[in-house]
Amino acid sequence: MDFILSGLIFSPLLAALVVLLLPTRLQQPIKVVALAGAMVQMVLAILLYFRFDGAAFANGQMGYQFVEKLNWIGFSLGSLGRLQIDYFVGVDGISIGLVLLTGIIGVIGVISSWTITKNIKGYFLLYLLLITSVMGCFLALDFFLFYLFFEFMLLPMYFLIGIWGGPKREYAAIKFFIYTLVGSLFILIVMIGLYTSVIDPMATAVQLNLLQNGVASPDAILQVQQMLQQNVISGSELVRTFSIPAMMEPANFIPGSLLHVLSGSILWDLPLRFIAFLLLFAGFAIKVPSVPVHTWLPDAHVEAPTPISVLLAAILLKVGGYGLIRIVYPIFPDAGAYFSVLVGGLGVLSIIYGALCALAMNDLKKLIAYSSVSHMGFVLLGLASLTVEGVNGAVYMMFSHGIISAMLFLVVGVIYDRAHDRMILNFRGLANRMPAYTTFVVIAFFASLGLPGFSGFISELMVLLGGFSAPDVTGMLPRWMTVVAVVGLLLSAAYYLWALQRMFFGKYWIFPELREKVMIFDLTKREYLMLVPLAILAVLFGIFPHLLLDKMGVSVTGFTELVLQNGQEQLNMVLSSITK
Amino acid sequence: MNEQAAFLSDKINAIVSGAGSLLPELLLAGFFLLLVTLDLFKSKTIKQLLPWLALTALFATLIIQILGGYTSGDEIFLDLLLSDGLARFGGILFSAAGIFTILLSLQNKPLEHLEKGRGEYYGLILILVLGLNLMAKSVNLLMVFLAIETVSIASYILTTILKDNSRSVEAGIKYILYGSLSAGVMVYGMSFFYGFTGSLNYTSTGFGLALLQADGLLVAIAAILVFAGFFFKISAAPFHFWVPDVYRGAPMPVVALFSTGPKMAGVIVILRFVTPFADSLAFSDVQLFLGIAALATLVIGNLTALWQKTPRRLMAFSSISHAGFLLAALLAFGTNYTSGILFYLAVLLFMNFGIFLFLQISEDELGVEDLEQFSGLGKVYPYLGVMALLYLLSLTGLPPLAGFMGKLLIFTNIWEAYTLGSNPMLLALLVVGILLTGVALFYYIKIPYYLFLKRNLREENLVTSLSNKLLLALFALPLLVLFFKPDLLLNWIDQLLAL
Repeated sequence: MDFILSGLIFSPLLAALVVLLLPTRLQQPIKVVALAGAMVQMVLAILLYFRFDGAAFANGQMGYQFVEKLNWIGFSLGSLGRLQIDYFVGVDGISIGLVLLTGIIGVIGVISSWTITKNIKGYFLLYLLLITSVMGCFLALDFFLFYLFFEFMLLPMYFLIGIWGGPKREYAAIKFFIYTLVGSLFILIVMIGLYTSVIDPMATAVQLNLLQNGVASPDAILQVQQMLQQNVISGSELVRTFSIPAMMEPANFIPGSLLHVLSGSILWDLPLRFIAFLLLFAGFAIKVPSVPVHTWLPDAHVEAPTPISVLLAAILLKVGGYGLIRIVYPIFPDAGAYFSVLVGGLGVLSIIYGALCALAMNDLKKLIAYSSVSHMGFVLLGLASLTVEGVNGAVYMMFSHGIISAMLFLVVGVIYDRAHDRMILNFRGLANRMPAYTTFVVIAFFASLGLPGFSGFISELMVLLGGFSAPDVTGMLPRWMTVVAVVGLLLSAAYYLWALQRMFFGKYWIFPELREKVMIFDLTKREYLMLVPLAILAVLFGIFPHLLLDKMGVSVTGFTELVLQNGQEQLNMVLSSITK
Repeated sequence: MNEQAAFLSDKINAIVSGAGSLLPELLLAGFFLLLVTLDLFKSKTIKQLLPWLALTALFATLIIQILGGYTSGDEIFLDLLLSDGLARFGGILFSAAGIFTILLSLQNKPLEHLEKGRGEYYGLILILVLGLNLMAKSVNLLMVFLAIETVSIASYILTTILKDNSRSVEAGIKYILYGSLSAGVMVYGMSFFYGFTGSLNYTSTGFGLALLQADGLLVAIAAILVFAGFFFKISAAPFHFWVPDVYRGAPMPVVALFSTGPKMAGVIVILRFVTPFADSLAFSDVQLFLGIAALATLVIGNLTALWQKTPRRLMAFSSISHAGFLLAALLAFGTNYTSGILFYLAVLLFMNFGIFLFLQISEDELGVEDLEQFSGLGKVYPYLGVMALLYLLSLTGLPPLAGFMGKLLIFTNIWEAYTLGSNPMLLALLVVGILLTGVALFYYIKIPYYLFLKRNLREENLVTSLSNKLLLALFALPLLVLFFKPDLLLNWIDQLLAL
């Protein structure tokens, strides 16, 4: 068995333990250890990227690779059988890009944190815990494990914003915490419902002694699933599971459980499965974030220190979209098909509303925060289209936005470090004094607004293609939605170019009151070290999209087929069972 | 004459044969007498010895109960008591609670300076634990009443042990008034049950069958009256009014004991008492009442906690909200909920003693009375701060701490029960319970918020004693272990229950 995934998750945790043991006054060693932890994670992520076989396709299922599965917690539920929680991790085409992204951004974040002076030990401890749990989220295939990492992101983030943040940090931190916790409580409700409804056919086969040569063969699994649906397995033999792949198969649902497709259970005139979908969607939509539950994001971004903003925008937000693709849609494809207009509509709303807000902002960091909301709307739109292009675009968007938003927030950090101010109207003509800096700002802005040649273009193009073809191919979205989304592109060009024009072009001028405390100088070596790799990546993945598309194509196609086929079938079953 | 003698000797034989199962209780009673006697001596060394004697007694009962062997599983003492696995697990928790209380008391300054009544104090803790053991063992309503009163009387005195503290005295008076009122109501209700069934042995099958014959409404009223006494002990609404005052006035170790011991014993008593009411058709009124009480307790506890300015009152309402969770858990009829509840009780024990130890340290040594006075202390005392954070997150029910596992098990049972019976009350409890966790975070996080996010108001640097640090770790460690390997405890509970 290959332990590369565990290495990915736990290398920063190991570094965190070392940091914990180091005395507080050894500031430099603490930073070095943190960097080493993040570097190991990045190297492993790059290794994984090259070793990952994009063409592998296992039995019509999305093929997970480098799987590790260990029994973790198991206890008896009496007459309800047993409960099994596994340490179950694996990577497929959907997560491979995000794992790579997390590895890279983790290192960039440490470099960006080099200037932190306040309580260094605590800071890097929390930082390492944070990247551990984000990586865990992207690799977990057991819902419990996923939830553990998902919740565990909150706390380090709360303190990172609350202690090292800006003037209104306390408010922003608590707002972030409450919003995401409420979201995760919605997820918890559904998680409880799911694991009480789903069995692990393999483990149940073991329980029933259906083994051949010590392994449960595919036939045995099929047999267990048939026996389950015919209700001939006694309750105490069932092994309930948190395994996400098991939850994706309707045959693993216990007949009579509330989330079974044929249960016919209704709440407030909606099938319970639809309600479960909506709860999960709400939970992840907060994280995405989608309008109207996005309001924590601008506050958190504005108050967070630069490296934490980078982490938040580049990898934490991706957990929301990733959760939708990994958990919500495959487990509830019926509701996914049913609610595609809602999801797509919220996506379009986020695109337009986020862009309009960005247009109105005077604070450069807020502008970029709202641009994140706008760009994440494309993820929802692409996903709702359920076309191969659209979902590819959504996943690509998450990766590309990760790279570009990291650049954007670093760029804001540069001006904030020098002027302790980032109001757009307080600066003019910065290009004259900071030509190199302006170059990177231009790259970042253009990459973000979707100029061909940058990765942002590829993702937006694919989402829009998927959106336009959806009415014909999958019958999911009305065409006007995609048309409106195109307007979002124009708006994003408008706010970026306008900001560029106001801050960087024209004659050099800064607001008089700032002049005394401002030291304007061009990029330092450390800043080059962060910005250059990101710029290269944005271009690389803009010109050679197949670098990522080849890795994820098979999984995404598998995902759309599964969701579409099962979705239609199950939707009919759900609707027929409630009319009965 | 002969017949009478034979009858009497039968009874005596029955009592004597059952005495073996009462070993822990007899031990506690014996040590209590020893403590009270020794307290008469003026010698300082003897006075210093008292807490250690009490500790010895509790450790002995703890070990006896962990090893088992003495339990018979039969009803003993003329069908008054039953030492089964449930009672034994309860007994283990109570002994542990007693031990923790004494360990906290040894670190508590006001109690250490107590001139008079040291022997009483430690002796009463033993009596309280004895009462708790009896509560968990009783299968007879009259015995339940006696046990609850034993616990209550010990509690009243423990509340007012610091006689010169006016707050303490006021709390004691309120406690006695509420306590005697609810006890009276409870006995009244019990008399109804005797009328319905002709028996006080509420776990016998005859009791349940006779109840089915009785008028449903009257049974419901009688049950509600009896629940008054039980709710008082577990601090559930609407019998929670004493809680904030007592938590504000009593010494910290005593508060920690109240927040765990009587609550755990009360839950075990209710667990036994509700079994006949599992039939949702015949006893829908009783279940409705329990459901409403659970909802009310959850909502009152969590929402009132939001407005509290002092850590003691905050913890009082937190304790009420946990009573709400436990009541909700008891309603998941038809599922195997006992082991989940016992797991939750064990977790509650560690997190409550942990947080109260933290509060005791901050009150005694740092002079913290208000939440605001925690400002910036987390940076000066990182170890204390991190430990407090662990306990509070566990109380909220966030991973990776055992509080999450406890809540997960309870919600799982409620979901299962809802699947079985589609009782809308259960769905309401599930949704309200989970969403209130978000509210709970909002008030629990206040303490870490002041500890870490606010600036320090004072400049001082005290050293936390090593024993305090060790104790904090002792309470925190199980919370982590029981999250990552809850099956260790759950499997053991299942073994005990299967005996």
